[in-house]
Amino acid sequence: MLILQRKAGESLLIGEDITIRVVSVDGTRVRLAIAAPEDVPILRSELVIAAAANRDSAMEESTPAELLDLLGGVLDKRDGPGAPPET
Amino acid sequence: MKLQTKYFGEIDYEAGDVITFPVGPFSFEEEHEFLLLPFEGGAGSLLCFQSIHTPGLAFVAMDPFSLLPGYNPVLQPQELKELGVADSQELGFYVLCVVKKPVSDSTVNLKCPVAIHPETRVARQVILETDAYEMRHPLAQFGNEEGAPC
Repeated sequence: MLILQRKAGESLLIGEDITIRVVSVDGTRVRLAIAAPEDVPILRSELVIAAAANRDSAMEESTPAELLDLLGGVLDKRDGPGAPPET
Repeated sequence: MKLQTKYFGEIDYEAGDVITFPVGPFSFEEEHEFLLLPFEGGAGSLLCFQSIHTPGLAFVAMDPFSLLPGYNPVLQPQELKELGVADSQELGFYVLCVVKKPVSDSTVNLKCPVAIHPETRVARQVILETDAYEMRHPLAQFGNEEGAPC
């Protein structure tokens, strides 16, 4: 893996037609400007992971009722005084 | 109107019940209309997003505040603008679960809640810009930590 240091305003090239420029750096946040051909998909990587999580959500392996058993009354604790004290 | 659902057989619903996603949930961007249906025994905190157009598509969802009373989702200005609110606290939030076998392996996506405008019922799934929440948080953790001191 290639690791480079760039300052705000500097850029780098990937191949012949993709340019990534650092617009600004503010604390932990970096703003990037990406110029690429329209047929190059650009996705925030967490979006890909979120999409996979959603696809898993759509295919449950157990019944939702079993979830209630797992959670053991956590979901309705708002209605009650909470868990009994431990002895 | 009648609708075939994944979990509840055929149900009756009204146009006002529909939750509209201008952009559908991630990976399901073409699914724009859902109903939010509660499961019996979940005290209103265990529900599902049932697609109106695809009977077999439903996401098991939870009220994140019942799992984590301090849950604090903060949306980006652009996301708030799309939903037509000034502040994240004006929105309702639900989180999607992955229900595994064994069920103790199930997870909940606290990082990508569905935000719903309470009046217009326009919704959007977002990715929170925080490291405080995970996309696959083990649900078993919530069931086991109830002995925590109050």
